[in-house]
Amino acid sequence: MGDAIIKFPTRQPKKSRFGRNNIVGYLFISPWLIAFILFGLIPMVVSFGLAFTNYHILRGWDFIGLDNFHRMFYEDRRYWNSVRATVKYVIIAVPLRLVFALAVAMLLNTKRRGVAFYRAAFYAPSVVGGSIAVAVMWREIFAREGLVNYLIGQFGQESIWWLGHPDYAIWTLILLAAWQFGSPMLIFLAGLKQIPGQLYESASIDGANGIQKFFRITFPLLTPVVFFNLVMQLIAGFMTFTQAFIITNGSGRPLDTTLFYALYLYKRGFETYEMGYASAMAWVMLVVVALLTAIVFATSARWVYYESQEGK
Amino acid sequence: MKSKRALLITLLILVAMVLPSAAVFSQDETVELRMAWWGSQTRHDKTIAVIELYETLNPNVDIVYEPSGWDDHWTKLATQAAGGDLPDIIQHDYQRIREWVANDLLLPLDEFIESGVIDTTNIADASLAGGIVDGKLYGFNLGNNSETFVIDVDALEAAGVELPPVDWTWADFEEMALKLAASGVYAAGGNLHFSEHWKGLYISCCDSYAYNAEGNGLGYTEEEDQYFVDYLNMLLRLQDAGAIPTLEETTANANTSVEDSYIVTGQAAIEYGWSNMIVAIWTAAGEDRNFIEWTVPRVVDGLPRNYIKPSMFFAISKDSDKAEEAAKFIDFFTNSIEANEILFAERGVPVSSAVREALSSQLGPAQQEMFDFLGVVEGYNSPIRPPDPAAHADINSNVYLPQVVEPILYGMMSPEEGVKILRDEAELLLSQ
Repeated sequence: MGDAIIKFPTRQPKKSRFGRNNIVGYLFISPWLIAFILFGLIPMVVSFGLAFTNYHILRGWDFIGLDNFHRMFYEDRRYWNSVRATVKYVIIAVPLRLVFALAVAMLLNTKRRGVAFYRAAFYAPSVVGGSIAVAVMWREIFAREGLVNYLIGQFGQESIWWLGHPDYAIWTLILLAAWQFGSPMLIFLAGLKQIPGQLYESASIDGANGIQKFFRITFPLLTPVVFFNLVMQLIAGFMTFTQAFIITNGSGRPLDTTLFYALYLYKRGFETYEMGYASAMAWVMLVVVALLTAIVFATSARWVYYESQEGK
Repeated sequence: MKSKRALLITLLILVAMVLPSAAVFSQDETVELRMAWWGSQTRHDKTIAVIELYETLNPNVDIVYEPSGWDDHWTKLATQAAGGDLPDIIQHDYQRIREWVANDLLLPLDEFIESGVIDTTNIADASLAGGIVDGKLYGFNLGNNSETFVIDVDALEAAGVELPPVDWTWADFEEMALKLAASGVYAAGGNLHFSEHWKGLYISCCDSYAYNAEGNGLGYTEEEDQYFVDYLNMLLRLQDAGAIPTLEETTANANTSVEDSYIVTGQAAIEYGWSNMIVAIWTAAGEDRNFIEWTVPRVVDGLPRNYIKPSMFFAISKDSDKAEEAAKFIDFFTNSIEANEILFAERGVPVSSAVREALSSQLGPAQQEMFDFLGVVEGYNSPIRPPDPAAHADINSNVYLPQVVEPILYGMMSPEEGVKILRDEAELLLSQ
């Protein structure tokens, strides 16, 4: 039966993988392939090698074994400042963003008129979210004469130097993250649409209220989407760079409270030119994020509900 | 057959894509020079105008330019250095040139001066000295500068404060700052915690510098730590008295441009900076304001803190195969009166006496003030210190600010404790 469908083997039996037909294929994907090898694969391999050197852009390099990692974990105080700032940010900003995203997705999951417009409008901040312009705008909102100080001024409060205060500065970044809930929101929305309406109908007949419906129907059926969003946002959270780079002028100030890991890595690589050290930092980050993702995956069996497993 | 043709077409497309760039190499006679600098938009405009002037006068030269801001300039150069692709002409800085020479990235310019390609007949030796590293000239000075306090004369008058003597001290400054605060203006724009003050303090108190001459350790003793402790205590007192902006305020304002700086908006009566800065300040503030440049205060009973420094250099990269053409351009940039009428001392007071003379009749109030101030400094100056060691950038951004000065000014660490951390950490980085 297979012979009838697949004709190629009769003409080219077990020819090498790089047979004539395939060359054309590889040529067609060559733009992507070349770019991937040049800008993806090679830099990764090189950066892995550099992690074990003291490569300084101007001074050259020597192989130094694990010294970079020793320095990172035992000598570099700013490294730990950056870890603290990043962990704090991820722990607060990621759940906050997911809660916002889910709440807005539920609001938009109705059949009201003009809901398509609102969906687009709520998604917009995320489209422009990674951009410089939004970060600049955010900086102005929290400036001395910005919107926030104006609002609290209406209630007779003293103005606050939001971006200069060691306790408050990171909250401006957390709020920015929460506001940029668009992409998880869209995925939640798609997930909500998959939930069969008759489940809600029968629950209503049984006298369930809104909260019960949410916790007994919506959330359990949405867990695969929650899981996906959680993993994606966790990874994105650890890699946050642009917002901090623009809003705090790339300084990590005040007192390193906004010195995100990616920002510190950039500063080591491009400000003091310590590419070896920066590469080592990048690989530690990769391992940590991979481990966290693995942990989330491992726990997923306990709380993520897949409909297809129902009969299991 | 079909696949063969597809292969052929693909190859043809690839060749067609490569061809145009190959064609460029086959043209000869035109010399292409690449040049990179940092600066503001004003500097970009002026510099580009001079490049265009040079190209009209020398039709065989084509200058490709790469202007950027300070940070981007160095990031870009570092990557280019790593790739062996540096521009021919590089605008360089006193704090960094030592490291670049140590890593063999720059070309000595002495031969071009001996052969007369760069004419130095109108330039004082002292003006060139700053660009000499290990006995050879690597950086060609583009203008003289000195640290300064730009003072808003009207604000002082309004507060009933007299101009201080030229040899004033930090004690005088503190007294004056409190008076200014009483009249509702700050006595500084918010950069009195910069590492320039740490470095300059040790010129003034101890005829030394923050770093030793070899650049492998600090240049002051443990007992002399006290001078910096005193200075930081003064900043804390002034901060508490509302006489200078708190670090909280300064940090929140880190992004402000000249237009929003406190001296321009009138929130501060004094701004610390380099003397060429007055041109930008006065332009932003408007002609009806009155500014004067003043010496930076010294330690009580100390030496003059001010010294005359090359504002920036032109250097030629080691790999340049058109070094002589690059040197010709540097000569033009330095000695051509036409070019300097465009540049108009934006990079500091021109080093050529002929250029200074030609400009003197056309100076606006800001340039005039800068020229006059440099004249004043010549009478009240200390010798220039060796360029900062290579570790300075690291010490400044990873130790001095985040681990020492910021915790102190946020009130989370005592100056005594901070100064000790600075000593330990800086010595460690300098010894490597």
